[in-house]
Amino acid sequence: MFHRSPFPPLSRRDALRQMGAGFGMMGLAGVLDQSCPLANTARASTPASGAAFASPLAPKPSHFAPKAKYVIQLFMPGGPSQVDTFDYKPEIAKHAGERPECVDRKSLRNTKMGLMPSPYSFQQYGQCGKFVSEIFPHVGEMVDDICFIHSMHTDTPEHAGAMMMMNAGHLQPSRPSMGAWLVYGLGTENQDLPGFVAMSPRAQPRNKLANWSNAFLPGAYTGTYVNIHEMRSERILEDLRNGWLPRAEQRQQADLLTRLNELDLQRQQQDQHLEASIQAMEMAFRMQFAVPDAFDTSQETKATLAMYGDSEYAKGCLLARRLIERGVRMVQLSHSIDGYDIAWDTGHGNIVDGHRALAVACDQGIAALIKDLKMRGLFDETLIVWGGEFGRAPTSEGQKGRDHDHYGFTTWMAGGGVKAGITYGETDEFGLTAVKDRVHVHDLHATILHLMGLDHERLTYRYSGRDYRLTDVHGKVVHGILA
Amino acid sequence: MIRVLLLLTGLLLTSEPQDVQLFNLNAIPNFSADEIEFFEKEIRPVLVQHCYECHSTDAAELKAGLFVDSREGLIKGGESGTAMIPGKPADSLLVASIKYEANEMPPDRKLEQRQIDAMTKWIEMGAPWPKVTSSTSHEPSSTKDWRQFDWKAAQQSHWAWKPVQRPSVPVVDAEMDANPIDRFVEARRQHAARGPVALAEAPILARRIYLDLIGVLPTLEETLAFSKSASTDRQKAVESLVGKLLDTTMYGQRWARHWLDVARFSEGQGGFLDNVELKEAWRYRDWVVDALNQDLPINDFIRLQIAGDLSGNPSDAIATGFFALGPTYQSDGGDPDSVAQSQGETLDDRIDLLTRGLLGITGSCARCHDHKFDPIPQADYYSLAGVFMNTSMQALPLDSSDVVKNFSENKEAIESLSKRINPLTKKIKKENREATAEERIQLDEWTAKLEELKKNPKSNLNVAHTLHDTGSEDMKVALRGNLRKTGDIAPRQFLRLLVGENPIRFTKGSGREELAAAIVEPRNPLTARVFVNRVWMHHFGAGLVRTPSNFGSLGESPTHPELLDWLTCEFIDGGWSLKSLHKRIMTSATYQRSSTFEEQSFKIDSDNRWLWRMNPRRMDVEIWRDSLLSVTGDLDASLTGPSFNKVTESKRRTLYAKVSRNGDVFESDSFLRRFDFPLMRATVEQRPNSIVPQQFLFLMNSDFMVQRAKSLVARIQSYSPSDEARIRQAYELLYSRSPETVELKMGLAFLNATKDGQELSSWDRFAQVLLSSNEFMYIR
Repeated sequence: MFHRSPFPPLSRRDALRQMGAGFGMMGLAGVLDQSCPLANTARASTPASGAAFASPLAPKPSHFAPKAKYVIQLFMPGGPSQVDTFDYKPEIAKHAGERPECVDRKSLRNTKMGLMPSPYSFQQYGQCGKFVSEIFPHVGEMVDDICFIHSMHTDTPEHAGAMMMMNAGHLQPSRPSMGAWLVYGLGTENQDLPGFVAMSPRAQPRNKLANWSNAFLPGAYTGTYVNIHEMRSERILEDLRNGWLPRAEQRQQADLLTRLNELDLQRQQQDQHLEASIQAMEMAFRMQFAVPDAFDTSQETKATLAMYGDSEYAKGCLLARRLIERGVRMVQLSHSIDGYDIAWDTGHGNIVDGHRALAVACDQGIAALIKDLKMRGLFDETLIVWGGEFGRAPTSEGQKGRDHDHYGFTTWMAGGGVKAGITYGETDEFGLTAVKDRVHVHDLHATILHLMGLDHERLTYRYSGRDYRLTDVHGKVVHGILA
Repeated sequence: MIRVLLLLTGLLLTSEPQDVQLFNLNAIPNFSADEIEFFEKEIRPVLVQHCYECHSTDAAELKAGLFVDSREGLIKGGESGTAMIPGKPADSLLVASIKYEANEMPPDRKLEQRQIDAMTKWIEMGAPWPKVTSSTSHEPSSTKDWRQFDWKAAQQSHWAWKPVQRPSVPVVDAEMDANPIDRFVEARRQHAARGPVALAEAPILARRIYLDLIGVLPTLEETLAFSKSASTDRQKAVESLVGKLLDTTMYGQRWARHWLDVARFSEGQGGFLDNVELKEAWRYRDWVVDALNQDLPINDFIRLQIAGDLSGNPSDAIATGFFALGPTYQSDGGDPDSVAQSQGETLDDRIDLLTRGLLGITGSCARCHDHKFDPIPQADYYSLAGVFMNTSMQALPLDSSDVVKNFSENKEAIESLSKRINPLTKKIKKENREATAEERIQLDEWTAKLEELKKNPKSNLNVAHTLHDTGSEDMKVALRGNLRKTGDIAPRQFLRLLVGENPIRFTKGSGREELAAAIVEPRNPLTARVFVNRVWMHHFGAGLVRTPSNFGSLGESPTHPELLDWLTCEFIDGGWSLKSLHKRIMTSATYQRSSTFEEQSFKIDSDNRWLWRMNPRRMDVEIWRDSLLSVTGDLDASLTGPSFNKVTESKRRTLYAKVSRNGDVFESDSFLRRFDFPLMRATVEQRPNSIVPQQFLFLMNSDFMVQRAKSLVARIQSYSPSDEARIRQAYELLYSRSPETVELKMGLAFLNATKDGQELSSWDRFAQVLLSSNEFMYIR
């Protein structure tokens, strides 16, 4: 092929970029050496020329040794009620109908009714004896692997803003999502697949793309959205399939293009962009085949499929495993059962049926995901984060419903780097307000980045005249949950 | 509450002498883990549960200006002074208050004795508090006493704040007498040992000039014509070509796009309402195209975009789309904090556009506190924001008053008829019967009338999204950017940085006219410099100041400060004519240099700061798509009108593709975003240049590319029957050069090795490769 020697010195900026890519390649080589469970699947291949290339998605070194390599976010838009799922509050029943002072907080969401006991029974699970609601029996079986955070709080009791806060660290839809930040910070391990995949059955969560947007980060870091409900492999990415030529003839075209581009590079010299685009074209060629393969669940065994069950959300869980197994950095899997963009908001009118149906639709798949990752040795390097944008108040709104609660709610994590079988933080005796070891969403983000080997204060991007961070000017790592 | 405040004031007098010492205590000393644990277990929960509601950043309404959610907050105290002195519980108002001795806090119920004891003990311990790693502390919004600030000295302290002064043109070399630009550049280059590279070859230069000015490739005939005239008098050929292209309407279409980036133009509202399309937004875009084609002086161009609605001429009002089409944030549910936050974000968009877009300073940084690096007090932010507090967006009818009247009357008549017809038909239906003869006649008469009215050709009024004034009041400084926690009044006036310590107050309506005048005032050192630098950047790929929207102290200094000032003076003295500026720049040898690689120069100056060559640039998506369409003879360059969505089917210029605010609504969004069209959320200073596989999926697999390939083949086949001649033609057309022998061989080999398929002939496939190449995508 072509070859340039000796290399003239690069400009400072280009040199930095090339160094970054160089380290990335070392990191990548490391990945290839590891005896990962899928050593022969389409992990990134080294570029033919061996030259460092400046793909924005190439793996990059973390700030410090990471505890986890991948994130699977099980996002529950609409706000699941903490006191009906994982934050067991028997005191509510003792004071049913009353309105003690501590639940009488001033808020837009100031329902005037008294405490409403959970319609569900709770039972203890696992070694840790965690109380879990009857609507999550499968997740209940996994409590010894889970770290529950009961002291979450956020800035607004409105869905759209709170969802943006949870997924992008800011109340308005104008900032990059956490997944975009992760891929920006770490790159991704499989160059034939997108680094960040967002999925949901049927409805996209409210604010749609803003939940997985790159915003002002370069376009390479945006989430690729896949609708599990109507998933057709060729629709996963635009223009993924060539409708005109068989692979071999397409390859002839690609070969010619590569050769012409290499000639151009020889003439121009010293152009990182030209080099990168030669690599990107080769990646695109491979993606045509790697992407449909990653999303093809028919390759799974019957036993695996049975373990997950047949709900759409479970399929998403299975796809999430297939993706991170192939090196995708982050998967955001949002819940929805009936095309509602804030699924768990059924809590307003009817906790009893609404929450049960939603839980049934995701419970088994989530538990299976944990089991599956453990069986494949991926659990320790994957961070699972479950939760909504806020919770619901222990007081009732009408007969059977509960209104939004941003003063306190539950998020749980499992896998790489978090303590297993523990509960961190507390809400008050009735579950409204986080009172002990409070964790703001910014703190959660700081902690997730920390587990991924990134310092949330150092992961910055200069835009609009200042350095931006996922955590803005906030965020403290929650050391109490680190394993 | 007033009672409490008075008490606080009285009590705190005793602690005043210690203020100096207190200030030093703000730094959190090192505490042991046990001490921190004591705080977290015994103190923080009490503060959270009993005090935060009124005294924290989460408080809906902050009371007495006191924050108890940080150690500094307690030490700094509220409006009346310190609330806590570490180590001295007896002197701490906090303790007196919770004991219900000084005043009664929390007001609803006294804390338990256990909690009071813990609080006392905690202060005794020195008030341990975990170190906050990031800046969540409540440092004062304003740290300087700006009344004492020396604005005159500040204006001399940084190159960009100094007035623009006409430098003398350096004398460098007798041979280089022609263009002052070249002389300025040569004078700076003398630091570097090596001279510049040669001028670009004529065909390559023609390609560059066409792409730069009108955004499409030249035809073969145009390239040849230029090369021919350049061979006799190159300078004259360039002048005449530039002049010719500046006179085409395609020029305005190309350069409007650069301005629309600054204006973060999109056709969606933004916030959570991005699906609310701004259907008339295209009128602003078309106004920009027209203004540039008319060579509207840039000072007027800017003035109208700030205050055009106040001129009384509806077409001038369209210009205010610059601000009116910005993202408008909303609260999702009306929670008062969220409402205030959304309003704050919307105002911030306007200030950001005004300051970065027009002035090249990062004014938004002063939203929550004084600017950390440039002399922009927080109060000055709200002096500008006040102008926009008194401004809102409206749908302005553009038709004459007669047309509007006629339309409204017609509409009313239709409505009133419908109000008669509908109840009657409903009644008849409900009673489950036929209409009586009388009713029938009545109904027929009404229906006929209605049909007649509906024939009125005017189905919709022409409206534009514009600004209009809603008031004339100053706003208050929002403490830490929170509009619900306000401080002093910030009178509406211009930045003290630019006009000195006593700015003239804005009094006319919102103050936009006065603001506009201050911005284009020739003595303003920023506006013209910033604009000229942007134009330079679009011609060279890099500005003389390489941070085009930040001329502040964190921005880069100009590589050629005298050249920038000279160009700026020429620009202002020449009546702010953009077309003259293009001519001046493009007729320089500096602009006409080859982009070729030269190893020694690259070693010395790889970023090309001394302009030893032209920077090779990747096309932006507009140039690239338009050129793909033009070179295959498909481009529709028609002017004006609503935008199109089907970007891969339409043949119109990319400028007219629909753009939503979040980049996720239209088919065109996804195409544009794939090719680095930036998110139009905030003013864009420069296009990113990312290379991702998804772009190549489009090149390899999209219908659009296959169609272009087929069109190109149809064009080339008419030139010549021989493959070799056709390949030559293709190279000349696409790349403005002849193929090298090896390229010819490779092309012929490819054509021989592939067979015509059902869908694609060998030539179709070859053409697709040529159109997909890097070389096509570059401006050299």
